Amino acid sequence: MSAPAPVDEPRQAEHRAERPAPSAMLRTGLQRYAILIVFAALIVGFGIALPGTFLSVGDLSNILGSQAVLFILVMAVLLPTVVGDFVDLSLGSSLGLSAMTLAVLNVQHGWPVLVACLAGIGAAMVVGLVNVFFVVFFDNDPFIVTLGTMTIVQGVIYIVSGSNSVGIVSTGLSNWIFGNDFLSIPLEFYYGLAIFLVVWYVLSFTPTGQKALVIGQSREVARLSGVRVNRQRAWAYIIGAGIAGIAGIAYAGTNGTVDPTAGSTLILPAYAAVFLGATAIKPGRINPLGALIAVYFLATGTAGLELLGAQTYFQQIFYGAALVASITIPKVTRDRFLKRRRAA
Amino acid sequence: MSSTDSETPDSSDKRIGRQDHPGPGGQAPAPAIELRGISKDFGSNRALDRVDLRIGDGEVLGLLGQNGSGKSTLVKVLAGVYDPEPGGRLFVGGQEIALPLAPGQAGQIGLSFVYQNLALAPGLSVLENLTLGQRIGGGLTAWQPINWIAEHRSAAAVLDRYDVTLDLDRRTGELAPVDQARLAIVRAAEDLRRYRTRSGYRHSVLVLDEPTVFLPEEEVDRLFDLIRTVVAEGAAVLFISHDLTAVREITDRVVVLRDGRVVGQEVTADIREEELVSLIVGAPARVDQGATAGVRPVEDEQAVALTLAAMTSAGDADGAVAGENVVVEHLTDAWLRDLSFEIGAGEILGVAGLIGSGAEELPYLLFGARPAGAGALLLGAETLDVGLLSPQRCVRERIALVPADRAMQGLSQSLTLWENIVMLVEDEHYRGGLFHRGELVALAREAIDRFLIRPPRARNVMSTFSGGNQQKALLAKWLLARPRLLLLHEPTQGVDVGARRDIYRFVKSAADLHHMAVLWVTTEFGELAEVCDRVIVITQGRHTDTLVGEELTEEAISAAALRQTREDR
Repeated sequence: MSAPAPVDEPRQAEHRAERPAPSAMLRTGLQRYAILIVFAALIVGFGIALPGTFLSVGDLSNILGSQAVLFILVMAVLLPTVVGDFVDLSLGSSLGLSAMTLAVLNVQHGWPVLVACLAGIGAAMVVGLVNVFFVVFFDNDPFIVTLGTMTIVQGVIYIVSGSNSVGIVSTGLSNWIFGNDFLSIPLEFYYGLAIFLVVWYVLSFTPTGQKALVIGQSREVARLSGVRVNRQRAWAYIIGAGIAGIAGIAYAGTNGTVDPTAGSTLILPAYAAVFLGATAIKPGRINPLGALIAVYFLATGTAGLELLGAQTYFQQIFYGAALVASITIPKVTRDRFLKRRRAA
Repeated sequence: MSSTDSETPDSSDKRIGRQDHPGPGGQAPAPAIELRGISKDFGSNRALDRVDLRIGDGEVLGLLGQNGSGKSTLVKVLAGVYDPEPGGRLFVGGQEIALPLAPGQAGQIGLSFVYQNLALAPGLSVLENLTLGQRIGGGLTAWQPINWIAEHRSAAAVLDRYDVTLDLDRRTGELAPVDQARLAIVRAAEDLRRYRTRSGYRHSVLVLDEPTVFLPEEEVDRLFDLIRTVVAEGAAVLFISHDLTAVREITDRVVVLRDGRVVGQEVTADIREEELVSLIVGAPARVDQGATAGVRPVEDEQAVALTLAAMTSAGDADGAVAGENVVVEHLTDAWLRDLSFEIGAGEILGVAGLIGSGAEELPYLLFGARPAGAGALLLGAETLDVGLLSPQRCVRERIALVPADRAMQGLSQSLTLWENIVMLVEDEHYRGGLFHRGELVALAREAIDRFLIRPPRARNVMSTFSGGNQQKALLAKWLLARPRLLLLHEPTQGVDVGARRDIYRFVKSAADLHHMAVLWVTTEFGELAEVCDRVIVITQGRHTDTLVGEELTEEAISAAALRQTREDR
């Protein structure tokens, strides 16, 4: 069973590297790139264990393409998280609502697919707006509010769909999302990449992103520095919901039929990727690049396990173990480091 | 405040020699509690110097003194928080108790404390808070079932005994401040009563540390009624306060501490307020070593040259060169009453007021950080309505607030030093769709250099810096925004002496070279004497005094802040 592999690898890597020179530079460097190191080790390991299949082009395109929906959802999850609202549980349902709206309007009512897509994204953004109203305007706990909206939206999805899967969504859409490819990777990967680039640019290269970061790290400091805290939080919820809506469209295009439970299985892996990503590149900060790496790290791990013949439910163990390990290992090594310093 | 050598050590001993007058409550042969020769050193600083104190049964003793005079150190020795130096002795009900006390031992010898923060759990009900003390014991008792109906009945009886009416099922946090204080006192008094019945002793002492600070004056009376009931039940009270009116009203006798020594004890009825003030503040002729170590702002021109450069580059040279007058008119809120004052361009105006006087509200009100004020703020030619101010508006108007709570309100502890310093000027370095991070880091490095922030590592996380360096970073952050009005609240709180000097210099330079108007609010009156051009004094929300020139001494400011206005009106 190779699931706990990432638990041991970085610990040993850090431990070994630390002994000769426990310099701060090396330590932060290791923490920053630990996930990349483990990622590389994982690829090499699977490459050796599965010669010919794992490192093939087909498998690369499979990994990149199959995770596009999750990856878009991760970008949606990222936004409220950056401004310090650590959970928007309803984003999974927003994805489902968007996909279901598209399917019902397109398949059952014969709307043009483009209009149906926009309606789906709009429906998701309405959920975001409701969250803003209750979380930001009334200053409620986001966990409780979004737990409520998630449940409500899920109920709405069942009503709209009559508790049945709805299909088949226009093949034109499927082709433009999943069927056609570029460099033998499905187009939806590039849509995800485009969204990632926009989010990355805004968060990392504009004052708006920097302000969002301050809000997330210390809301009161941001307020007393003249930042429009609530306005930015509101935008994070609404745009996040919109991106979740786009993820819903991608889901419908990928699968053809839309299941009423669509988003609910994706939201937790999305949060796993965001928090795992926060331990990389800029440790301690929710950052898009880290999230990108985390998504594909987790995807590679699960794909490799699948090729090794593991049942799909081992993926879940892998996801959970990687998440818990990623936040625990830095602490273990730091404590050990401090202990040695104190002894010296 | 370090102990001074200007007084001979014997002078305190002489005072103690005439402590043998009986209290009006009819002093019992063995006092409820007696301290002899208690000293406490913090490094080379002597916080308590052979303090003697006795409280008779049924007596209310006031303990007075300025910030740093040793009042809270003495309380913490009694509470077992600090270990006193060897040689001190403690007698409780005539029996000697070995010092130092263990934490928690105070409760077993009949001492009970109510601190300023009351130590109530705001989310629990009144009943739960009242009975909390009985739940703490571990072991088997932690598993005994609680009969809530019986608890309710006995708690109601307790409140009744002290003549306090409170809804036992109310959330404690919803109570008015005075009721919360009364609840805390009832709880402490009940602990003492239980102690007396259990042990059979007569003595017990309730220590009240600044209980009236946050209470409106009309509610203080209700608190006093309760204290009188507690005394009638048989406890003695040690009442610690800044509030002279309160002390004169409730206490039988007062003891005054200054620089860790007992400098006087008097029967409250026999002493005039002016005498009390001069006892607290000290001899007016005391030589002040602090002020002579003057501040020469010009020597430090380079420290803020950076700010000046940034100001001219942004094209608002007019504001930078001439400076602007600031006028505040009819400022009123829950604490402040119709406050009006003016700050000239380049002037540092100090605001002196005790905790609870309303002075500490002033910077936050003028920054729009706390809503619910009324009044006008005239900034140069502009008039702003204080009730409509918001932090966003104030940042746009270039008003700066350096809050007292730098960890929570001033600096983002998890961001890096450079990110904190440039927080307010980021927008100016975003051009053509690109964020010029390199420029910002360079700017921050320059500021780190000029503001003497150590270690000079722009990429270190804020929380790794010491208090003094954090405070310099906070000042740098706001000075980079080129404020027209700089509001400072306790800008040197928890800051070492060296950094304190630096901060004085930076603010002086900002005022002198940039003609910035500065408002400096602090309870450290020596600091105001040192840096301010003029000091206004606020007592009970009103502007009661203005000090300039020769009058700017720590003693004069303290005396003005302590002087009560209540009787005059």
